[in-house]
Formats: sequence, C-alpha cells, structure tokens
Amino acid sequence: MKKLTSGGLTFLTYLLAFLFFFPILWVLITGFKSEGEAVIIPPTIAFKPTLENYQVIFDLGVVGYFLNSVTATLVSTLIALLIGVPAAYALTMYRVKRRDDILFWIISTRFLPIAGVIIPLYLIFKNLNLLDSLTGLIILYAGMNIPLIIWMMRSFFNDVSFEIIEAAQIDGATGIQSFFQIVLPLVRPGLVSTALLSMVFAWNEFFFAVTLSYHKAATLPVYMASFMTQEGLFWASMSAAATIAILPVLILGWFTQKQLVRGLTMGAVKG
Amino acid sequence: MNQNEAVQQNSKPRRVSKKKGKALNNPPVKRLLLPTVVYLIIATQIPFIVTIYYSFQEWNLMRPDKGVTFTWFTNFIKALSAPSFYEVAMNTLILTTSVLMICFVCGLLLALLMNRNFVGKGIVRTMFISPFFVMPTVSGIIWKTMVYNPSFGFSAYFANVFGVAPYDWFTQNPLLAVIFIISWMWIPFFMLILLAGLQSLPMELIEAAQLDGANRLQQFFNVTIPHLVRYIEVVVLLGLMFILQVFGEIYVTTSGGPGFASTNLSFLVYRTGFQSWDVGGASAIGVITVILTIVMMLLMFKVLRRMFKEEQA
Repeated sequence: MKKLTSGGLTFLTYLLAFLFFFPILWVLITGFKSEGEAVIIPPTIAFKPTLENYQVIFDLGVVGYFLNSVTATLVSTLIALLIGVPAAYALTMYRVKRRDDILFWIISTRFLPIAGVIIPLYLIFKNLNLLDSLTGLIILYAGMNIPLIIWMMRSFFNDVSFEIIEAAQIDGATGIQSFFQIVLPLVRPGLVSTALLSMVFAWNEFFFAVTLSYHKAATLPVYMASFMTQEGLFWASMSAAATIAILPVLILGWFTQKQLVRGLTMGAVKG
Repeated sequence: MNQNEAVQQNSKPRRVSKKKGKALNNPPVKRLLLPTVVYLIIATQIPFIVTIYYSFQEWNLMRPDKGVTFTWFTNFIKALSAPSFYEVAMNTLILTTSVLMICFVCGLLLALLMNRNFVGKGIVRTMFISPFFVMPTVSGIIWKTMVYNPSFGFSAYFANVFGVAPYDWFTQNPLLAVIFIISWMWIPFFMLILLAGLQSLPMELIEAAQLDGANRLQQFFNVTIPHLVRYIEVVVLLGLMFILQVFGEIYVTTSGGPGFASTNLSFLVYRTGFQSWDVGGASAIGVITVILTIVMMLLMFKVLRRMFKEEQA
C-alpha cells in the first residue's frame, strides 16, 4: 500500500512537471510547424518539420534584436559586477558603520517600482539623446542588478572563512591581492551564478526597454511584443521567434538553478 | 548566526599587519562602497525625486502649446478622484495577494512532492523551474495564443471536447487570466526556494518528533513549517518585489483592458505617461504607486530587520 502511494505520488510529480513544462515544449515544437498546421484543432503532433518560420523571422531581422539583447545583457552585467561585488565584499568582510542601514537601503532601491522613475528617465534620456540607445538601457540594467548582486554575493562571501584571509595578510598580501588570489577563487561558483542571474533579469526586462527604445536599440522582449501586435496571427513564426528569445536564458537557468537557490536564501536564512 | 561572522568581527582589528601600514589599518570600505552608492543614487533616487517634482506640474507632451505650469496637488486630486484609479489599485492588490497565495500553496505542495527520492529528479526539477526563466512578454504570448485563444487555443479545444462554448478569458475574466500566467511563472521559483528549506531540515528533528509520537500532520505543522519560516519570508519578499511590478504579461495579453479591468498601477503609469503623454498625471500616479509600495514594504520591514538581526546575533 505504501509503495503504491509512493508510486502514485511520483507519477503525479512527473505529470505536474510535464504540465508546467508543456507550454514551453509546445512553443519549441510549433516553431517547426507550418502556419497551417500550427492552428489545427485538435493540435497535431505528427507533422513535417520545417525551417521556414526561422527563415521568415531571420528575414524580419530577428538577428539585430538578438544582438541588442546580447550586448545590453553582457555589458550591463559586467558593469553591475564591477560595481556591486566590491561593495558586497566591503559589507561582508569589513566593519562598516551602520551596515544594516546601508544594506537595507541598497536592497530597497530594488523595490522602487519602475513606475516611480520611468517618466523622468524618459525625459532625461530624451534630452541627453539616450532614447533608443543601448547605452541608456545598459545604464539602467546595471542599476537594476547591483542590489541583487550585492544581496547574493554577500551570502557567498559570508562562507569564506576569515582566517584564510588573515593568514594571507600576515604573509604580507595586500587587501587587493588577498581578494583576487584567495577570496575570488573560493566564491567563483557563486560569482558565476550571480552573474548568470543578473543576465537573466537584464535579458527579460521589458518596461524600460519598451518605453526607452523603439527600433535601433530594441531588445528581444520589445521585438516579441511588437510581433504579437503586428503579426499575432502567425503563430508558427511567432513560436520560432519566441524560441530564439527564451532558449538562451532557459539554458543559463538550467545550469544555475542550484547556485541560484543558495545565493538567494543563504544571505537571509543562514541561522 | 554565525560563528564564522562573529569570529570575523572580533578579528577585524587584528587583521592589521604593521608592516603594510596604512592601507590595511584603514580598510578601503569607502572606496569599495562609494561606486554602488553613487550609482544607485543617480539611477534610482534622483529620477524618483524628479518624479515628485513633475507630479506638481501640469505638463502634457501632446500639448506643447500649453507649456508647463505648477499646479500644486491638482494631479493628485485628479488621479485620486478618478473611479478607474480605485479599480486599478484594487486590481493591483488582488493580483499581488492572490498570486502570492497561489504561488505559496502550490509551490509548497510541489516542494513536498519534490522532497522525495525518485528516478529522474534532476530532469523533473529542471522542467519545473523552466517557466521562471521565460521572459514575461513571451509567457504572455504563449498563454494568450496557446491556452486562451478562443478559436485554436487549448481552452477552446477542451471546451469543444466537453461540448461547452469556448470561454473568452480576456474579455470575460482578464484579471484571472493574467493571474494564471504570472502564477505559472512564479510557482516554480517558490518551489525551488521552499525545496531548499525542506532539504535543510535536519533529520534529527523529524526523528525526535516521531519519538514523541507526532503523526505526519503534526510533524508537518510543528516541525517543518517553523523550520521553513525564514525561507518563506525570503521567497515572499522576493516574490512581492517582482509581482507588484508586473508589466510585460499585461502589455502583451490585455493591454490593461477591457477598460481598466486588468490594469495594475505600473501599467496605469504607462498608460497615462506613454499613451496619453500626461507627464504630470503619470508622475502623480507614479508617486502614489511608490507610496503604496513603501506601505507594503513597511509591513515586510520587520521581517527584513529580523532577518538581518538574527544573522548578526
């Protein structure tokens, strides 16, 4: 009896996992269908795969949007790491006056709704000629990810035992040397997953992108939204575009899931 | 917490090696922190202050002839006296709380299911977590087309199978439709964090409870849940941060409509600012949004504080 329940629960788990994954799977599949087959009811699984949708969206210029997304994501993450990691290090390793308040303030900036800053940003960007430019988006994405990076990196730095650094400093290493030679290698897995998570957020960001970019700097989320309004009926080619938009971060996410949990919970949970 | 940190703090003054002199005597805290502080002030705080300033101006980008005039609280009065505002505020509240509750309950149930041993656990977990990484615009598009589409979506298919009229989700119940989409994206995240909590539960605690004769249900409520509290706080906090600001899913599915039926505060700012080009009005709503968010945050403030406190103690 117990075995039976256990088997039933396992089966239920499989079923639910399949249900959760199904919409994504279906998009991946539909991208290879012809437009006619994509809207058949009941939906078919037996169909002749075609690459014509990918041809269509390449002709529509998906590559340009893809490259915009890649640039905005990579550059903003790099900037956010360069600024955020040292701050996280300082907040973990050194005695900082009013550390709690500083930390709380940093995290709270992430809570500030985009709705509360978007109007001035639009007007400021307009004056600075930053509208529809990747530079503008990169600046904002970096600002959006710094609090997250500090939150996560702090928990990884917390795990580094202080004796190791101390020993290095007694041997004459400077602060910077001990950071690069001793601490950084120790937190590398955490650093990688932090970087990947902020890449996910930058890649998926939409509010800034849709209000502050039009064509030149539009990223994939903006491209997808305009695809929906203009050619929403072409479900097959839209699926192909969606596949290109989600697959990179999906793969990043699959690789980071374990570290992600650790980084997000440890800082706050560790007793 | 945390022996480790306690050691760190006590040993901080000792970390000085006299030879190296000043650099180590004065750890470069300021230099390390300053870029972050400056960057965040410029990118987030200053724009918000400007938003407050704009909220007192009458300024419509569509009417350059009217110019910009200082109007005191007119924008706020106008925003707060519009019936649609209360609909939108209510939508935001319903959306946020119901998504949080759905995500918590379903996430916990899934985490309990995942906290067992079975074949293919890694793949199953990967399948579960996937929706969390899908960009909001694409999730909206997937659901709008694949699930909700009244002529070829799956809901139409099942309506057909059961011989009922297809339900047009986005006209008849747009808010609920949006709630399902966001829940689909966030249940996996809740599951992942809560699963981490379950897995960190020491076996001895469960065994002790069993020795005391607690049944499964008692074990769950008296041992598991108290252990999970910190994880629940983290996940609710992070969830709140993002779910309060839902935007892309609404943009691609309902555009906030019909009427204001599925507009939340973030989207109302967009509509006022970037569709009606009313700078003053949008700024006023933006300020109100921030105030309401702060209220929400203050409710969570104690929780946050406690988290940091205990970490240091």
